[in-house]
Amino acid sequence: MTLHTLNASPASAAFADCLRLLTAGDALLLMGDGVYAALAGCSHRAELDTSGAMLYVLRDDAAAAGVLDRVDGVTVVDIDGFVTLSEQYARQLAWF
Amino acid sequence: MNATDGKRTLVLIRHSPYGSSLARASVDVALATAAFEQPVNLLFVGDGVLQLLSGQDCEALGVKNLGRLLSSLPLYDIDHVYVDAEAAARYQLDLDAAPVAALPLDPGAMAELVSTHDHLLGF
Repeated sequence: MTLHTLNASPASAAFADCLRLLTAGDALLLMGDGVYAALAGCSHRAELDTSGAMLYVLRDDAAAAGVLDRVDGVTVVDIDGFVTLSEQYARQLAWF
Repeated sequence: MNATDGKRTLVLIRHSPYGSSLARASVDVALATAAFEQPVNLLFVGDGVLQLLSGQDCEALGVKNLGRLLSSLPLYDIDHVYVDAEAAARYQLDLDAAPVAALPLDPGAMAELVSTHDHLLGF
């Protein structure tokens, strides 16, 4: 299974393309402008939930964006957590 | 190392040919990988399918013709080229006229393709 990283706004083509390739069993780590896709209750977040992929958000980027307390249901990880994820998944794909 | 020892690489191409340098870079990476006899396949996703438009003419623009470059892929033993069927339909692409033969895939088949490669390079 694949670890996807998204570093682009949920309004971007990168988000749309990533979403279509996400499958259950994959993981998606949101970083940079990608953290806005984690916002609970928003349509982009609902689309990610439907994919069945495990969702993660990078703590420092979410904190900077002011969304850290609005990402219920998404696992918050730091850089060490990112490294751990990259060890757990066989391959990684960056969307930007 | 011969081709059978190499890990399988998939290059995902998501950008239109002349809007940025990413498209050219992605094709260069694919060619370089193939030159080292590593198995490499290509997948055009989203706006990346626009690289498959026939009749690209960049003479006035003064840049290299990416369509022509793509037509040379089989010479580099890059035989497997795949294309996002939804995006191709959205842009009404005539795949029969594309610079290189590309197999259209639905989203499920694209995800399956991704999962069968060892290395993923997204552009």
